[in-house]
Amino acid sequence: MRQNEIDEILRDTLRQEVAETTAGLVGLEERIVIELGERRPRLRVSGWLRQLLAPTRGGRIGQLSVVSATAAICLLLGFFVANQVGLDGGSPGIRLTPSRTTNGGQEVLFVLPALDATDVSVVGNFNSWEPTALSDDDNDGIWMASIPLPPGRYEYAFVIDGRWWGQDPLADEYVQSYGEYSSVRYVGGGDGA
Amino acid sequence: MSPPKPPHAKPCILITEEAAGNVYRVQDEVSLLRASLEGETEAWGEVISRYKDAVFGLCLGFLRNRADAEDITHDAFIRAYVNLRRYNLEKRFSTWLFTIAANLCRNRLRYRRNHPVATLPAQIRGGADPATIIARDDRHAEVREALTRLPYGYRAPLVLRFYNDLPYREIAEILAIPEGTVKTRIHRGKSMLKRRMEEERDPS
Repeated sequence: MRQNEIDEILRDTLRQEVAETTAGLVGLEERIVIELGERRPRLRVSGWLRQLLAPTRGGRIGQLSVVSATAAICLLLGFFVANQVGLDGGSPGIRLTPSRTTNGGQEVLFVLPALDATDVSVVGNFNSWEPTALSDDDNDGIWMASIPLPPGRYEYAFVIDGRWWGQDPLADEYVQSYGEYSSVRYVGGGDGA
Repeated sequence: MSPPKPPHAKPCILITEEAAGNVYRVQDEVSLLRASLEGETEAWGEVISRYKDAVFGLCLGFLRNRADAEDITHDAFIRAYVNLRRYNLEKRFSTWLFTIAANLCRNRLRYRRNHPVATLPAQIRGGADPATIIARDDRHAEVREALTRLPYGYRAPLVLRFYNDLPYREIAEILAIPEGTVKTRIHRGKSMLKRRMEEERDPS
């Protein structure tokens, strides 16, 4: 089989396959428009801040300058951390102090600023390294997920648009394996997960 | 069906449709996106009309499962709308949209590793679904089977190249791999495909 022959048959096959199975796409536009219409718009402080800081000119939709974006994120993260995170008396570093669950574990909050990301998830030994999505419902660039975890030591990393990010600023420590960093967090004073 | 053309290829498309009693007119893709960003969901409906076949084809090629491809196509347009503020006008919109779809596909494939679909080959061949037509052309059926068995890392660039007609640079951007790797994988992917098709024809 010649090279351009396989190119042609690949092209034909993929197109034929799609042409045979597009029945489910009929009315997709209407379904999505209705779904989006049913979502109530939410006005948050971050949205107001973004509008205030957005430049009046520029090629990017809703663009923030690097400085103002950084300032807004730090400010928001600061507010957020102040509300959600407490300092653990004797030990150095920031430790999350969320609500306790019935089994002695905690609702552990994973939070990460990722301004331009479209998909952020956390993988770790608590979810068999299968992604748990973080959400950014108010589009302020701060992604978060709250996961109930029993006491223990947890290794994890964020996956930002398919890329590994193993150094969570809120982690208790970091480990390196296979050339990549992972973060470690201790929940409820546990030392093994 | 033709793949989506770049924005600059549509200098002045005039679309008129009734929306909430008003005549809704859109001149080009950038206007559509700006209108979408301002909350005009009907404008986003027009964006979906333009790109749904391309996004669905990408998802079907990546996932090899019609139901999953429909799910992810829907999710990709919702995700893109919600994150439209993050889209950079200097980039091609299609590249950004395809990146979202590709990331969602990758997550779904990870999920499928632990939650496999038992009827996957039948769905792809059209055997279980009355809406699809059984592939009459043996060669096409062979390519489908071989594509399904090809590792994702090789299949994805082939789909973006031969279904979405994208240049190497954009494929590299969407899959977050170097351009050289894209070229290598497309070359090797085709060789693997060819070998598997020959094996199917002559198993000995």
